Amino acid sequence: MNIPERTLLRRLFLPYDITSMAPATKVLVYTLLVLWLLVVLFPLYWLFITSFKLPIQVNDGPDFIPFIDFEPSMHAWHYILFELGNDTLRPYINSVIVAFCATVFCVLIGSFAAYALVRIQYRVKIGNVLAFLALLGLTVFTVTSLGAPLFAAAPVAIILFVFFVAAVGRYFRRALGNDDILFWIISNRILPPVVVVLPVYLMFQRIGLLDTHIALIATYTAVNLPIVVWLMRDFFAGIPLDLEESAQIDGASRLRIFFTIVLPLARPGLAATSLLILILAWNEYLLALFISTADAQTMPMLVAAQNATRGPQWWYMSVLIVIMIAPIVLTAFLLQRHIARGLLVGAIKG
Amino acid sequence: MRVRMIDVRKSFGQNEVVKNLSLDIADGEFLVLLGESGCGKTTALRMVAGLETVSGGTIEIGDQDVTNVLPKYRNVAMVFQSYALYPHMTVAKNIGYPLKLRGTPAAELDAAVRAAAEKVHLEDLLHRYPRQLSGGQRQRVALARAMVRTPSAFLMDEPLSNLDAKLRIAMRVELKRLQSELGVTTIYVTHDQVEAMTLAHRVAVMDEGVLQQVAPPKEIYDDPANLFVARFIGAPAMNIVKGTVEDGTFAVPDGAVSLGSIAARGDVYLGFRPEDATLAPADEAMLRARIYSTEMTGNETIVTCEMNGEQVVVRADKDYEGTLDAAVGIDLDPGKARLFDCDNGRRIRR
Repeated sequence: MNIPERTLLRRLFLPYDITSMAPATKVLVYTLLVLWLLVVLFPLYWLFITSFKLPIQVNDGPDFIPFIDFEPSMHAWHYILFELGNDTLRPYINSVIVAFCATVFCVLIGSFAAYALVRIQYRVKIGNVLAFLALLGLTVFTVTSLGAPLFAAAPVAIILFVFFVAAVGRYFRRALGNDDILFWIISNRILPPVVVVLPVYLMFQRIGLLDTHIALIATYTAVNLPIVVWLMRDFFAGIPLDLEESAQIDGASRLRIFFTIVLPLARPGLAATSLLILILAWNEYLLALFISTADAQTMPMLVAAQNATRGPQWWYMSVLIVIMIAPIVLTAFLLQRHIARGLLVGAIKG
Repeated sequence: MRVRMIDVRKSFGQNEVVKNLSLDIADGEFLVLLGESGCGKTTALRMVAGLETVSGGTIEIGDQDVTNVLPKYRNVAMVFQSYALYPHMTVAKNIGYPLKLRGTPAAELDAAVRAAAEKVHLEDLLHRYPRQLSGGQRQRVALARAMVRTPSAFLMDEPLSNLDAKLRIAMRVELKRLQSELGVTTIYVTHDQVEAMTLAHRVAVMDEGVLQQVAPPKEIYDDPANLFVARFIGAPAMNIVKGTVEDGTFAVPDGAVSLGSIAARGDVYLGFRPEDATLAPADEAMLRARIYSTEMTGNETIVTCEMNGEQVVVRADKDYEGTLDAAVGIDLDPGKARLFDCDNGRRIRR
């Protein structure tokens, strides 16, 4: 054996034991962490102090420290909260309603889909899919070119499809599996949203739901579903099948198992996924720009509106952003204790 | 309740894992399905539970055909190898879950949970979570959950195999006692023949999906129906020696055993238990061999001998001392020797 002597230099660069870092490494790691912390926190700090600055201070800046570099003023806060009043409150409430509702629907529906894809083996016959697409195309053709009424064409197409599946569906051999379905789901998200913005706008315009909460909630739910399905699938797959079989024998139905066994055990996943979807829905700009105009306008619209004809109103924007990030920070704090690991300890084995 | 499996088959694709299994288990009987892993015993149990569909045949519980009945309506209780405790519920909630699903009133449920917990000595741990319990305690929670209602049958899938050796023996004793107290029909799957022999009223030995023999433990041990059962049961297993029978004598190159009146059969296998043979001086004994190794286990010495390239095991006194490669003779009790057909492995009755 050849154990090196612990000289001063070696003590600096060798870890004391296998569970700790060498002193030099420690210094390096913490320096990098502090630097990164500054990178992350500085914009927030800048935002916060800008909300207390007068336009002149912003333009003459940069001023860094309140009471020393500049005298804080409440004028921007007063303008946004009182002079604008309802014009701030309405988008704020809209954002809360839309983002939270969309998150709840999205996580619930996505979880159902993810659970089904984990526990049930689907075999979608390619022939049936092609038949569906063909009938869809035919329906669109008859309605648009031949002038057939939609309420007549659609049921006929559906009945034809059912007959087709019942008659020849079982003779098809090639089928798609769960992985194919999953890829199809995620491919919906790969598509850049800007591609679907106009069809979505037209759709809501036709059914008269433009500029409503329902339109925004439905859109955000649909757009974010693939993410929920993909994230929740992994969490559900980690739950031992034994637990569900045991519950089945104990007398629980599938739905009951889902709500009393599977969902509680997937709580860390649910919390993390909900937070992500909430942030995505909260910050969404492009779709909101088209779907909402006045009544259903959300906060990102209002913030962008501060970049007005008079140039960017940094002080108003800062106030809006500060009040806008508050609910998300609060939710993140509430949810983070659920994003803990180790829920499954004790479920199986000794 | 009586459980009957009539000609039950199960295939996964091309792979038939249970072949024409017929078992008639009387009310209150403790039947052990014994076999090596992959022999189809767990699949058979899961078909009784309803967790696996049946490819052919009928399963009856009581007087009812339950072949296509959902698990929750079969009213069986199952103990999984992994225990399958619900990790997010306390011990009391775990035990009470089957009753809660049946809408049992709270007071009645509490009393039943307490009674079940007392049976397995868990009454002080009711408020704990599974993760706070030891392996043996978790196992007992699983048992209590099965016993809390009055099931038509207990189904146990290797319930003791995750416990350490000492605890396993203690739980085995408890389990046997509980089963006879409750008098509930029990189907118990294991690969451990000691468990099978000690617990069962009857043992069903399976190999490659085929039932080999169903009989009380003593009969399985003394009168194996075929070579597989003979080789599988007993530790060390039955010695099997190939030879020929002529004039009522079983002959091998290194000796002969007189079997009394038996017709000449040509090639046969002779089987005898290690405890039915004794070691003797080489020149006086029926069979001649060399000592291959000796193992002192405490209460006896297991002597492995080599005879014509085959190993033969003899149980000797714990003080027996033999030198390796020394010539030794083996005497055996001809009345306890068993003959097996060379072609199909079946027992030849004398």
